[in-house]
Amino acid sequence: MILAMRDRAAIAGIGQSEYGRFLPASQLKLGATALKSALDDAGLEREDIDGIAIHLGWPLGVDYDRAAEAYGLDLRWVTQSWLHGRFVTSMMQQAAMAVACGLANVVACFTAISFTRERQILGGPGDAEGTREEGGTHGESPPYGLTAPAGGAALGMQRYMAQYGATSEQLAAVPIAFRKHALKNPGAVMQQPLTLAGHQASRMVVDPLHLYDCSLITDGAAVVLITSSERARELKQRPVYISGMQGMRSGREEFIFAPRGLGINQQATAKWAPQERDLGAYRMAGIERKDVQALYTYDAFSPLVLFTLERFGFCAPGEAAKWVQDGRIELGGELPMNTSGGLLSEAHIGGWNSILEIVRQLRGEAGERQIRNAQHLQWATAWGDSVVFRK
Amino acid sequence: MNKPLPRITPDSEPFWKALRERKLVLPYCRECAKPHLPPGPVCPFCFSGRLEWRPASGRGRISTWTVVHKAWFPAFAEDIPYNVVQVELEEGPRLTASVIGLPNERLEVGLPVVIDFDDVSLPRFRPA
Repeated sequence: MILAMRDRAAIAGIGQSEYGRFLPASQLKLGATALKSALDDAGLEREDIDGIAIHLGWPLGVDYDRAAEAYGLDLRWVTQSWLHGRFVTSMMQQAAMAVACGLANVVACFTAISFTRERQILGGPGDAEGTREEGGTHGESPPYGLTAPAGGAALGMQRYMAQYGATSEQLAAVPIAFRKHALKNPGAVMQQPLTLAGHQASRMVVDPLHLYDCSLITDGAAVVLITSSERARELKQRPVYISGMQGMRSGREEFIFAPRGLGINQQATAKWAPQERDLGAYRMAGIERKDVQALYTYDAFSPLVLFTLERFGFCAPGEAAKWVQDGRIELGGELPMNTSGGLLSEAHIGGWNSILEIVRQLRGEAGERQIRNAQHLQWATAWGDSVVFRK
Repeated sequence: MNKPLPRITPDSEPFWKALRERKLVLPYCRECAKPHLPPGPVCPFCFSGRLEWRPASGRGRISTWTVVHKAWFPAFAEDIPYNVVQVELEEGPRLTASVIGLPNERLEVGLPVVIDFDDVSLPRFRPA
């Protein structure tokens, strides 16, 4: 039953550490700060947490057993995903289902990362995942020197540009928009304005991606406390409901950094637009796409923002590069995106920094960035999963 | 530090073995007749386990490309900037490889290419 999870679980508290580069604290220490602040925010005690959903484990992050041991937790439900940012939705969905089913009362979705201390891991000799026999999960092929996730995003964008005539100058609208948002966020790592000229002059990393098309490499932690809606209503904060959701797509027609139909890896080449079955999150939440007031996505690389817009039908296939121009995805525009600056300009906390921003927006706590009368906000990714939140 | 070599599994061993003899082969399904990549234990289209290896023409077109400008991996630092492409073979499946005999500035989606080989039996492609 598609509606079974509508508004059954809610976010009762959020917390974070500082975000920055080369922070002296360990991931465990950053995580402790975030967990404490989430408990304070929710008005809960450490003993109330009986479940944990760890997005990124060792060595970039912290494994569930070390977190439980170090923080003195006594858990009866745990889950832990792969070392990839793509599992934000999966972790929230599992946590929501766990509390709805009674497997846990309060689940901490926990992410603590030190990308700077462990930067060798990303595409370097310490990155074993790219050497998977049949190719890495972002299209990596180490024998040819394609060893980092950015390479996969470059393969996707290069073909997209050839197919649809999109340009690097058009793509620049994405990082420029998110930088504007970061300038309104004192906690964001990037605090200098970004211009089109600055974007174009920045060094080429993996063609066509310039430096500012690639996410920040930062350290920090974020915690989201998920409980049943009944319980959340008794707590200190106004609940933010997990109102609708849908899962990640996978198969030969999918490449993590391309819309369906683009023709990367073994995808068929076809103009693909989402059908009803691709948009279950709206139906579960009982809303239409046009009710979404702001969209948040995993912007590890700026093309992913274009691909997400097409994946969810905000614009037609091949049109996203034009669609994002003229402030459309900026605060005050038709569909603001990643209003705290995202991975491109706030920090790369595995995507959870944007989940915290969604909660702040729906509580009306986003200050200068506040979206007026925010009711429905959506988290959605280029790989097709999504959570719709409401206040 | 050496460049990484392909990791070979029982499923892909015939593919790499043929390349050592400068031949490109693809796993074909004996039920539905379709070839697939990367080499797997069964046909991904009809799930049949009856596969056979057949020669491929070695011809195709660049379906996407990139040029790497950053030294993620020390062993590739001296090669920068170098290209990596995906080639859509005439038979349909796509293969990740690189292009030789062409300046990176002339890489283009749709460019016809033909297979070549290097001393570690990695497939490379040249403009056709």
